[in-house]
Amino acid sequence: MGRLVVKSPFLLAILVSLALLGGCSSPGGLPDNAEAEIRFWNGFTGPDGATMERIVKQFERETGIRVKMQIIPWATYYDKLILSLAYGGAPDVFICHANRIAEFARYGVFRPFDDLIASDPQFDVSDFLPNIWKAGQYEGRQVGLPLDCHPQGLYYNLKLFREAGIVDAQGNPKPPQTWQEFLETARRLTKDTDGDGRPDQWGFAFTWLRTNWITFISQHGGSILSADLKRATLAEPPAVEATQQMCDIIYRYRVAPKPEGFDSWMGFRQGRVAMAIEGIYMLSSLEEQKGLQFAGAPVPSFGPKRAVWGGSHMLCMPKDISPQRAAVVWKFIRYLSDHSLDWAAGGQVPVRKSILKQPRFRQMRVQYAFAQQLPYVVFEPASHKSTEIMPFYDAAIEAALLGIKSPQDALNEAARRIQQVLDRP
Amino acid sequence: MKVLSLPPHRRHEALVGYLFIAPYIVLFVAFVLVPVVWGFFISLHNWHVLGEQKPFVGLANYRALLKDDLFGIALLNTGYFALLTVIPGNVVSLLLALGLNARIRGEDVYKAIFYLPVILSVAVVAIIWRWMYSTEFGLLNYYLKVVWEFLRLPGEFQPVPWLNSPQSAMPSLALMSIWWGAGGNMLIYLAGLRAIPEEYYEAARIDGAGGWARFWHITLPLLRPSLLFCLVMSLIGSSQVFGQSYILTGGGPHYSTLTVVLYMYQTGFSLYRMGYACAVAYIMFAIVLVFTLLQFRLLSARQEE
Repeated sequence: MGRLVVKSPFLLAILVSLALLGGCSSPGGLPDNAEAEIRFWNGFTGPDGATMERIVKQFERETGIRVKMQIIPWATYYDKLILSLAYGGAPDVFICHANRIAEFARYGVFRPFDDLIASDPQFDVSDFLPNIWKAGQYEGRQVGLPLDCHPQGLYYNLKLFREAGIVDAQGNPKPPQTWQEFLETARRLTKDTDGDGRPDQWGFAFTWLRTNWITFISQHGGSILSADLKRATLAEPPAVEATQQMCDIIYRYRVAPKPEGFDSWMGFRQGRVAMAIEGIYMLSSLEEQKGLQFAGAPVPSFGPKRAVWGGSHMLCMPKDISPQRAAVVWKFIRYLSDHSLDWAAGGQVPVRKSILKQPRFRQMRVQYAFAQQLPYVVFEPASHKSTEIMPFYDAAIEAALLGIKSPQDALNEAARRIQQVLDRP
Repeated sequence: MKVLSLPPHRRHEALVGYLFIAPYIVLFVAFVLVPVVWGFFISLHNWHVLGEQKPFVGLANYRALLKDDLFGIALLNTGYFALLTVIPGNVVSLLLALGLNARIRGEDVYKAIFYLPVILSVAVVAIIWRWMYSTEFGLLNYYLKVVWEFLRLPGEFQPVPWLNSPQSAMPSLALMSIWWGAGGNMLIYLAGLRAIPEEYYEAARIDGAGGWARFWHITLPLLRPSLLFCLVMSLIGSSQVFGQSYILTGGGPHYSTLTVVLYMYQTGFSLYRMGYACAVAYIMFAIVLVFTLLQFRLLSARQEE
């Protein structure tokens, strides 16, 4: 027995050190021959994942190139991606949101597409919407290729509109287009049906505060950062006015609930909220709601400028990919872009003019309505500090809309903190 | 190591001892000691995960932290959380232990019930309590409304915005944490109470000491080792509060639940600024160390009197 006791820790120690050594050794380079499968990472965990899977399967059938797609939930996606880019094991092609391109491109982690684009005569850059195409650039090089765009739009409840008699000459529900129309519509749709003095049906509700706010301030000509990305501009009059307008919708006109504890999106799904401004990617969540009759329209004009928040999924390659592999991956990226109409069906908007014109896209009613806004989509600032400054304006918007601080005070505080971040080398 | 200077049979025994702890030591060195030292090294650099160069910046990260008002807010919030949980939480644990020590019927059942939350992970606890705290659909507001209407209190019941107002968010997290952790300390206190010889109480009772006097002069002094342990562990635990605000509030509303570890995590893992994040960790380490030493001093000095 005594001998056994002496031996087993030995054994264990050896095993443990072996395990540690194993853990330390690098995974080694991936096979670099062009026949090997393409590794593709994305965060499409919803119905969009199933759509992507179908397109990928089709690509495999048509080309004989194998693709290993890994879907990682967005919540942990970037952690895994960044570590793989820094320490090895990165995929051959991956999705990066437009608003994070600069943050990562600054460290040179992407392989630019410029030479591939130049050597592919069939690839027509001018088919892409220029503002969205540019969002994939960093310091003049194309590091991301836009697969889609996901702008916000106005979702509205057809049944509630009909009940309130908000219809056009043909009797179809009529979404508001201007600030006055919006206010009037929202007023008529805000109802206290049980007479307890508090509305139980709301004309409008703010869902995702950050993106709603970006739409509002951009329409008023405001911005988060100056054009050169060096100065915080969110406490300047246009942005403050826009924030005040959002507060007024809640507290002055009382046509939207205080965002505190009110699950606005659930409210819209259940027909207790008549209008909401949300991204096209929320479409599938509405389609699965039984009994909900809804439609989509461009966001009304709340201010003098046309603008709407949007995001975009960019296809990217890692910097250390070999030329042969890059050529194969380029084929795959081209294929995804050429088939972005199939991708749109899962609740996205394509960004190529030739696809936007196709009759089949017109039949996707909500996508088509939201796509009308593509020329004036606004992204989060293309600063490499975009992610870092985000919590500050998030906090300010929350404080203003909950009435914790006045819009001016809340935005001043955020601007001060954001400026500190911008000034740091 | 004094192993070599020992006589052969003792040497063998010592060797066996070291081998027994070897697996733990290996893991400890690999996953605790090395990262701790490495972390300090990182804190002296401008260390972005993706950066090819990670320039040495000396104490610049620490200097920047001193001027970082968000870090100040995080420190205050963490202190507030500790204030709300350490003493109240231990009082709850001690009361539960005293109740169980009365050798009531079904003691094991109660023990299990009170201990059950401890085995849950913070994620599970947070998700359960998110539903309880929901302003609109939450169980707590539902019952508060029932009670309000039953008592015919004046006016209409206004739902409590548990996690949605800067005033109530942190106390809500503290309440949840006390519920979650009270069972663990309860068992330690119970063990401590059971270790106090019954004769002391008998002798006190013969001398005419009342319940309160017995508690104050016998129970509490003899429970000091347990108290010391529980208070120190609670303080360390609460200064590292993370999961609660990470899952339930994300540090909001308006920074009211931003804690030091959450700030460290956000800096390190959503901004990938590891140097700065490590500096946050080291400052936190220094603060916890000071508090722990103080507490040891305070409580053990009295014991020697």
